[in-house]
Amino acid sequence: MTGRRIAVAAGALALLVGLTACAGNGPGAASSSGNPAQTVRVYLGDDTNIQELWQSTLIPGFEKANPGVTVDLQFDLHATNKTQTIAKLAAAAQQQKDPGIDLVEGITDDAVKAGLLADVGASVPAAAGIDPKVLAAAGLGAIPYRASSVLLAYDTATVPTPPKTLDELLQWIKDHPGRFAYNPPKSGGSGTAFVATVLDKFVPADVRAQMTTGYHKELESNWAQGWATLAGLNPYVFQKGVYPNGNNGTIDLLASGQVSMIPVWSDQFVSGQEKGTIPKTVAAAQIENPSFTGGATSVGVVKSSDRQQLAIKLVNFVLEPAQQQAIAAKIAGYPVIPLDKLPADIQAKFGAARPGELRPTYFTDHGKDLNNLWDQLVPGH
Amino acid sequence: MAAPPLLLVTVFVAFPIVVAVAYSLGHVGGLNATIASIAREQHTVDAWWQQTFAAYGDVFADERFLRDLGTTVLVTLVTTVAVVLLAWVIALYLRMSDSIPAKVLSALAVVPMFIPVVIASWAILTFYAGDGFVRTIVQAFGGDAPTLGYTVVCITIGMVWTQLPFATLMIVSGVQGVPQPLIEAAADAGASFGRIVRSVIAPMALVPTVIAATFTAIGTLGAFTVPYFTGPNAPTMLGVEMAGYFTSFNLPQQAIVMAVVVFVIAAGFGALYVWANFRQAQDAGRV
Repeated sequence: MTGRRIAVAAGALALLVGLTACAGNGPGAASSSGNPAQTVRVYLGDDTNIQELWQSTLIPGFEKANPGVTVDLQFDLHATNKTQTIAKLAAAAQQQKDPGIDLVEGITDDAVKAGLLADVGASVPAAAGIDPKVLAAAGLGAIPYRASSVLLAYDTATVPTPPKTLDELLQWIKDHPGRFAYNPPKSGGSGTAFVATVLDKFVPADVRAQMTTGYHKELESNWAQGWATLAGLNPYVFQKGVYPNGNNGTIDLLASGQVSMIPVWSDQFVSGQEKGTIPKTVAAAQIENPSFTGGATSVGVVKSSDRQQLAIKLVNFVLEPAQQQAIAAKIAGYPVIPLDKLPADIQAKFGAARPGELRPTYFTDHGKDLNNLWDQLVPGH
Repeated sequence: MAAPPLLLVTVFVAFPIVVAVAYSLGHVGGLNATIASIAREQHTVDAWWQQTFAAYGDVFADERFLRDLGTTVLVTLVTTVAVVLLAWVIALYLRMSDSIPAKVLSALAVVPMFIPVVIASWAILTFYAGDGFVRTIVQAFGGDAPTLGYTVVCITIGMVWTQLPFATLMIVSGVQGVPQPLIEAAADAGASFGRIVRSVIAPMALVPTVIAATFTAIGTLGAFTVPYFTGPNAPTMLGVEMAGYFTSFNLPQQAIVMAVVVFVIAAGFGALYVWANFRQAQDAGRV
């Protein structure tokens, strides 16, 4: 019996060791170099282009500008470990211990909702230059540092005169059956922007403002006309009501010529043309009345962190014109600070997209309801 | 002391299921606390002995769920019948003919097993898409084939494609296991081919067929990748719908309710599998 017991214990031990080893890949396991008190620990839950932006531009720049300070980047591709990280921050806050993360990006919405971010607005002077609507939509403690909006991409070979307003676009869709596509809002932001924009056509401005900064389920009744309009488009969109999954699903259709017009993220459009996945004959422009929504990505300083001052320093750094310019150049992201603080070529590059008029999307919970209701009310109706 | 395999199954399989079912019945404490702190529109109870079926009520009141449940069951039944029929045709061909084409056919039927489902789904979608191979060929001859991409038919084709290899392996081995003297004796007694299949081969290969059908049905029931890529937005299959509820709508409790429903249906197919295994053990004289 003893032998068997030892075997079981050894097995359990091996399992534990294995689990501990697995934890080595997740965020929070990165090595710390330099003086621990002078190291900012950044959790980044995003795509590889953002990792590249931080690793090769923002972090080296910050370390150079602040000798002795190091940045410890904990990268989490597509924020796969989002739930665990939020749980870790929440547990640390509950037990009043240091969470091992000072600044978060990519999970800011959830962190705001769980009340895990410090209200640092007063210590970030550059935040005053950010559009108040965008700042309010980000939530308490979240500081937007880059943005992008959705544009209307169209094939210039088949569409000589693109629609300029939402009404013209809706008419164009009906006049050209099967030539327009957008993705389900649950599968990507470009579809969300199109849906939200059509809904907004019927939502009064003051109601929309409330739905941007808070959750008021009863106000969703204002969406009824918008849903009817979207369901009415079913016979006129790609394949009489097919909505391909993901932001890339519609780009594929446009690139292969199966449709002539789609909503597209500004940064995906720019990088797609550079890589060749979007043909040169495709152009993109913003529409009016209302314009497509956009979104800002925020960073947030963790409330329970004991190195908040360093983290705030980093936030101020990324909002400086030089870094905003780098964001524009590297990932075609919109600067969040006023354009007139940036060089002329950046102003020209983003002038047509008008980042100054960035229309924020709905509050997180409204966004989830929007996904759900679209699924219920639009396809197949 | 519990045996290690039992311990492993308890910790990694049984325990999570119990926790999830408890969550669907309104228990948001303990291990469900993290998900419950993020989730929306939850129904909760105050004490451990109470239960609430309100989340089940939510799900069953949603006509989208009923529609997609119907689609899922339909796709599952059609796929299972088609897969079993195809696997039987291949198995009989291989049994009755020793030719090279028969061997090539049976080898080809197993190929999908080695192709990742994501890749296969994309390939199937582009094959049947509006600008795909099928329509291009028919167009070249002056016809006009329907566009199957993004339809329930396309999901079914994709499911048959991905499920065929396993069923073929099971049924071919079952049919090959029928002793040659039995078939020859029946033929000598004047039995036709149909009669031999019906009265000799089919009864002896019944158990592998039931097992193959069960696994095909359960695999199709919980499918995600194929319906996600090749299917329409509505109606869709429950695998896709659950993922939407869990991540996009942030309604994990309702997503788990759907998982429980799928689990119950799968358990029904699973009962057939248990019966088949029992029958096999009985035939072998072990029970």
